[in-house]
Formats: sequence, structure tokens, C-alpha cells
Amino acid sequence: MNLMFEVLFAEGDPSQTHHWLLPETAEIIYGGIASVIIFSALYKFAWPMIVKSMNARTEKIQKELDGAAAARTKSESDAAGIRRALGDIEAERKKILAEAETQAAAILADGRARLVKEVAELEAKAEADLAAARGRSGEELRGEIARLSSAAMSASIAASLNDRAQQDLIEGFIKSVGASK
Amino acid sequence: MSDAKIESYSRALFEIAQAEGNLPIVEDELFRMARAFESNEQLRGTLTDSTIPADRRQQVVEQLLGGKASNTSVQLVSLIVGAGRARDLPAIVDRLVQRASSELQREVAEVRSAVALSEDQTKRLAEALGKSTGRKLNLKVVVDPSVLGGLVATVGDEVIDDTVRTRLEQLKTRI
Repeated sequence: MNLMFEVLFAEGDPSQTHHWLLPETAEIIYGGIASVIIFSALYKFAWPMIVKSMNARTEKIQKELDGAAAARTKSESDAAGIRRALGDIEAERKKILAEAETQAAAILADGRARLVKEVAELEAKAEADLAAARGRSGEELRGEIARLSSAAMSASIAASLNDRAQQDLIEGFIKSVGASK
Repeated sequence: MSDAKIESYSRALFEIAQAEGNLPIVEDELFRMARAFESNEQLRGTLTDSTIPADRRQQVVEQLLGGKASNTSVQLVSLIVGAGRARDLPAIVDRLVQRASSELQREVAEVRSAVALSEDQTKRLAEALGKSTGRKLNLKVVVDPSVLGGLVATVGDEVIDDTVRTRLEQLKTRI
């Protein structure tokens, strides 16, 4: 305080500063007034801009924070979706495997049934073939007997057809035709 | 050969035989010749063989029929064979016989027998068949050993079969 009074009310040579550190008194006054004016101007004109700038920056940062939060939420949602999808794929895989097993079992059962049926049919056919072969053998035998019998009969009849028999047959024909009207 | 050609040949044969005045004999001889041609494979093969010259085939005909048939019949068969129509001889002759029978207002009756029939038997058979069918008949007897015994008569679509061969066939079927 003393120092300030000494500065303000110092006496002596006005070209010489009254203290080695402090400026002249008038200079302090002018400087002070100029500073007040500058700071006032700054407060009036620059401060709102600074405040606005700060607000804008705050808003931008908030927006970035909000965007980051949204991105995080989205990422989490995506991750959940992927996890869900993975779960679905696993379920689908299990479902496909189950269906494949079911189908394989059905095909196997069907194949077995068809095989059994075919075997039964083959057996039946073989039995029928055997029966037919037995019948055919019988038929062939009967046919052969009939052929031999008829051959023997033909030979016997041809041998017995002498001229007398031929004439009898001719006369018999003429008589029967003549009497047929 | 086409039906028109067969008809033309049969008409030509008919007119020649009629012009010669021996149609009944010629048609009878040609009928028997045609049946022999049908039943004898060797004869059929020789007369239809195009590698044998026509005059040679005609010589065969003349040698076979010479002395056994009238000259007109021999010449007519020789004509057909020389023209390369031997294959159609039965059809031509059958048409001729039908024409000749129509001329006499008779129907052809073909009788097959294992042995030849006497004239008396032929006459009585013709009468019996005429009585049975109610038609006037032109009887043609063919000696066919394959019937074995008995007779088979064909009059138009009607067949009267009393042959040993048929009886044997029926017996075979029954066996």
C-alpha cells in the first residue's frame, strides 16, 4: 500500500521514473483506462462470441457423445443380432440334421420294406415258374404221348386203308350226301 | 399278277377252247393240271424258274402232257408258261373253270379224293351233291393222297368234309 502511494504521489524529475520497476503514474492511469476500455469492449463484443463458440463446441461434443452412444447402442444391437443369428443358425443346423436323420430313417425303412416285398415277389415268381415248369413238363409229356399216339394211329389207319376200304368210304360219302337233303 | 391280267388270260383261254370246240375237255384237263402244279413243288419250281429258258420250260410241259391231254390244253399251258405266267396258272385256270361253268349255268364243285373215282361214282356223286345243294354243278375231282381216305367236297363257300385226314385231326385234338 505504501508502495502504491509512493508511486502515485512521488515527487522529483518527471522524466525520471520514481521507481525502477513501476511505470509513470500517468501511464498507469492511461494504461488502466485503456485496459478497462479494452476489457469492456472484449466483454461486450468478444465474450458473447466466445460463449457462443463454447456452447457450439459443447453442443458438438454432446452430439459426438450422443453419436458415440448411438453407435455403441447400434453396435450392441448388431452384436445381439449376430448372436441371435448365430443362435438361429445353430438351431437351423440342428433342425436340418434332425430332418436329414428323419428322412434317412424313412428311406431306410422304405428300402427295407421294398426289399422285403421284392424278395417276396421273387419267391412267388420262382414258385410260379417252378409250378409252370412242372405243368409244362406234364403238358410236353402229354403232347408227346398224343403225338406218338396219333402217329401210330395214322400209320395204323393208313395201313388198313386198302382199296376196299377206300371204295367203302367213297360210297358212304355219296350215300350220306345224297341223303342229306 | 393283277386281277385284270388273270381275267384277260382266262378269257383268252376260254375263247380259244370254245373256238376249238372242246371247252369241257380243256377246262377239265387244265383244272387237273393246275392242281398238279399246286401240289408238286418240283414241277412248280421248274416251270416258274426264270433262269431256265422259256422254250425249255415249254418243252417240259409238252413232254409231261403229251399224249395225256388234248393238244389244245397242252398248247394253252405252254402259252402261259412261255409268257412267264406259270406262277399264276392255278388262278387263271380257276377263273376259266368258273367262266365255263357260268356258261353252262353251273357252279364248280371241287371234290378231293385219295383215290381216283370211277365214272359211275363221279356221276352219282355229282347227282348227290346237286341234290344236296340244290344247284347244278360242274364237278371237278382232284386225286389228293393227303386226304388219306374218304372225300371232301367244296361247293362255293360250303364244305362237306368226310375224310380220314380230318377225322384223324379231330381225334388228335381230342387226345
